[in-house]
Amino acid sequence: MILSFPNMGRSIYAFKTLFEQLDIKVVLADPTNREAIKIGVKYSPEFVCFPFKATLGDFVSAIKKGADTLVMAIDCGPCRFGFYHAVQERILHDMGYKNVRVIPLDQADLLEFRWLETLQEVSGKHGLFAYSKYVKAVIFFLKKAKLLNDIQTAEGLFRAYERNQGDTTIIVKNLLDKLDQTNNLKGLRNFKNVIKEDFNNLDMDKTISPLRVGLSGEIHVSLEPYVNLDIRRKLGEMGIEIHQSLSLYDWVVHKFHLNYHRKWLEHLSHPYVPMDIGGECVWVLGEYIDKAKAGFDGFVHSYPFTCMPEVTARTIITNKLKRIYDLPIIYFSFDEQSGMEGFRTRLEAFVDLINDRRKQEIKNNAEFQANGNKKIYPHYGDNFYNECIQLLQVK
Amino acid sequence: MDTDGSVLTSVFLRNRGSPIESAKAGMEDLRIKIEQNEELQEYAIRCCGTTGSARYLTKAIVGGDLAKTEIIAHAVATQSLYPDVSTILEIGGQDSKIIILRDGIIVDFAMNSVCAAGTGSFLDHQASRLGIPIEQFGDYAIRSKNPVSIAGRCTVFAESDMIHKQNAGYSREDIIAGLCDSLVRNYMNNLSKGKELNEPVVFQGGVSYNKGIIQAFERHLGCKVIVPKYNVLMGALGMAILVRDYYLDNATETLFRGLHVGDIEFKTSTFHCGDCPNNCEIVQVKMPQDENKVIARWGSRCGKWEVF
Repeated sequence: MILSFPNMGRSIYAFKTLFEQLDIKVVLADPTNREAIKIGVKYSPEFVCFPFKATLGDFVSAIKKGADTLVMAIDCGPCRFGFYHAVQERILHDMGYKNVRVIPLDQADLLEFRWLETLQEVSGKHGLFAYSKYVKAVIFFLKKAKLLNDIQTAEGLFRAYERNQGDTTIIVKNLLDKLDQTNNLKGLRNFKNVIKEDFNNLDMDKTISPLRVGLSGEIHVSLEPYVNLDIRRKLGEMGIEIHQSLSLYDWVVHKFHLNYHRKWLEHLSHPYVPMDIGGECVWVLGEYIDKAKAGFDGFVHSYPFTCMPEVTARTIITNKLKRIYDLPIIYFSFDEQSGMEGFRTRLEAFVDLINDRRKQEIKNNAEFQANGNKKIYPHYGDNFYNECIQLLQVK
Repeated sequence: MDTDGSVLTSVFLRNRGSPIESAKAGMEDLRIKIEQNEELQEYAIRCCGTTGSARYLTKAIVGGDLAKTEIIAHAVATQSLYPDVSTILEIGGQDSKIIILRDGIIVDFAMNSVCAAGTGSFLDHQASRLGIPIEQFGDYAIRSKNPVSIAGRCTVFAESDMIHKQNAGYSREDIIAGLCDSLVRNYMNNLSKGKELNEPVVFQGGVSYNKGIIQAFERHLGCKVIVPKYNVLMGALGMAILVRDYYLDNATETLFRGLHVGDIEFKTSTFHCGDCPNNCEIVQVKMPQDENKVIARWGSRCGKWEVF
C-alpha cells in the first residue's frame, strides 16, 4: 500500500511524518501546478468550490506516482466540504482508477478520536503495543505542525525587513528541507532555535517600520501558494509585515478544543454570527476585529469563488464591521484563473492606500511623531512572534 | 506637464492589444507634436512615469522612472481638479473601477474582477449590433421617454433580453436607454456593493463620453455627476502629477530613453522555464541595439526570472 494526500501548502510535511511514523509508505503529490489544476477542473463538477478541483488534481498526480490509498480530511461540516472524499472517490473510479480508495480522516471533533480508526485502518496496527506508535506519530505531527506555524510567523515578520529581495524565500526553503529531515524528538525540540538562528543571519534593515497587515480566509486557499498566487510572498516583498495565525496547527489545536486564540475570536464575532457556519466565517470576522483593535494597517481576505461561508463573512465586514472598526480590507476570490495582472494591480493599489493612511495617522498623532515618525503598535502576537521581535532590536 | 502642474501636451491612442507598438506609436506622435511647436521645445523631459495594466512593460520600453497602478493615478488626477471629491466612477474599455475618498485620502476601491459586463467593450458590441455608431449612442438614450427594462446581471442575458424587446417592437431609443440603465445597475451591483457614495461624484474614462450613461448614473444616484475636462486622460494626468512630485522630491537623473523610442527595435520572445512542473511561460523583451540586453522579463510564478 502506498499512501498519499492532497497538498495544502507546507502542511504536507506534518502529514508525511504522521503516516511515516506508523511505518506506512508515503508518496507526495507534485506541488500543485497548472497540470494538476487542469485535470482537476476537467473532471470536477463545474460549480464546485475550487479546493475540490485542486485536491482532485493532486490525487491524480499522486496516483500517477504510484499511490493507491488516498486520505482526505472530512468534517460533518455545514458546507460542501463534508462530501469531498465520497464524490472524489467516485470521480476517480469513473476516470478509470478502479483500485484507488479515498479514506476519510474525520476531523469534526478530534476528541472523539474517530481519526484514530482511520489511522488503524491504514496502518493495520492494533493492540496495546501499537499505541505507543500512535502516540509518537501524533506527537511528531503536532510538533512539526507547530514548527511550520512558527516558520510562517517568522517569514511574515522578517520578509518585510530583508535588504535583498528573495533572501527570506531561500531561508524558508532551507528550513523546510531541514524540518523534513529532522525525525527525532531532540532535533524537533531544538528546531525553534534553528529557525531563529537562520533568520538572525538575514541581512536586515532594522531601522524601518513596516506596515502590518493581517491575512485570513478559507484554509486551503490561504495556505496553498499556487492557488493564492503566493500572496504572502508578494505582500512581503512590497515591504509589509504579514500576520496570519491561520495554519494547520492552529486548526488541529482548535479541533482538540485547546485553541484559546480561536475561542477569543469566536467571542469577538459572536454578536454577528453566533455559530460555526462552515469555512472560516466566524474566525475571519474575529480576526478582523482583533487586528483592528491591535492597530493593524490592513486586512486581506482570500477565499475560493462561490464559497458560501466566506461570502457571508465578506458581506458582514463591508456592511457592518468596516463602519465600526475602519480597518481597510481587500478581498480576493480565487479560482482557476492565473492572470496575474488584475491581482497585482489591486494589491499594489491596496498597499498605496494603506501607506497613505499610515502617513495621515502619523501626521495626526504627536506620540508617533515623537517616536521618529514611526507608528507604535500595542503588544500583539504569540510567544514565538515576540521572541522574533527581539531579534529586530538594534544593538 | 511642467513643474507648476499645467498640462503642456498630450496624446491619446487606443491600445490594440500590443502595448509595445502602442507605446512606440504614442511616443512618435508626441515627438511630432513637440517638433511642430517651438514653445514646447524649450522644455526638457526630466522624469517619466507609466500607469495602467501594462505599466511595467511600458516602463521598460520607454525608460520610465516610476510605475503606479491606475487606481492611484485616477484618484490623484481627480483630486487635483476637484479637491473635495468623494466618489470616483471610472469605466473604460475593458475594466471599471470605483474609488471612494474621504478627506482627501483613498479609503476604499473596487475593480471589476469577475467579468467584462458593464464596460465600454460591451456597449461597443451592442451599438454595432443595433447599427448605431458608438458616438451617437448617448444621444439616442437621451431622446428616450420611457426606458425599457433590460437584464443587467450578465451581458449574455442583456443581449437576449434586448433581442426580445427589439422583436416586440420597442423603439431603439427606449432600448438603448434601458441598456444604459442596466449597465449602471450592473456596475453598482458589482463594484459599489453597499459602499456609501457621497457627493461630489466624478465620472471618467472612455464611457463618460456617453451622455446616456451619465444620465443613467444621475438617475440612479440622485445627484449630479461631474465629467472632468480630461475625462479619458485622467490616468495619464495623475501619473504626471505623481512623477512630478517624485522628481521634485528626489531630483534623480531620468531613465527616459528620449522621444526617439519609436525608432528603437524591441524583440519579445517567450520560453518555458521547465524547472518545476508549473512550466511557466516566461516573456522577455530584448533590445538588439544594446548588445541584446534583457530589459524586461517576467511570467514566472516563483519570481525566479523577474527583471523589471
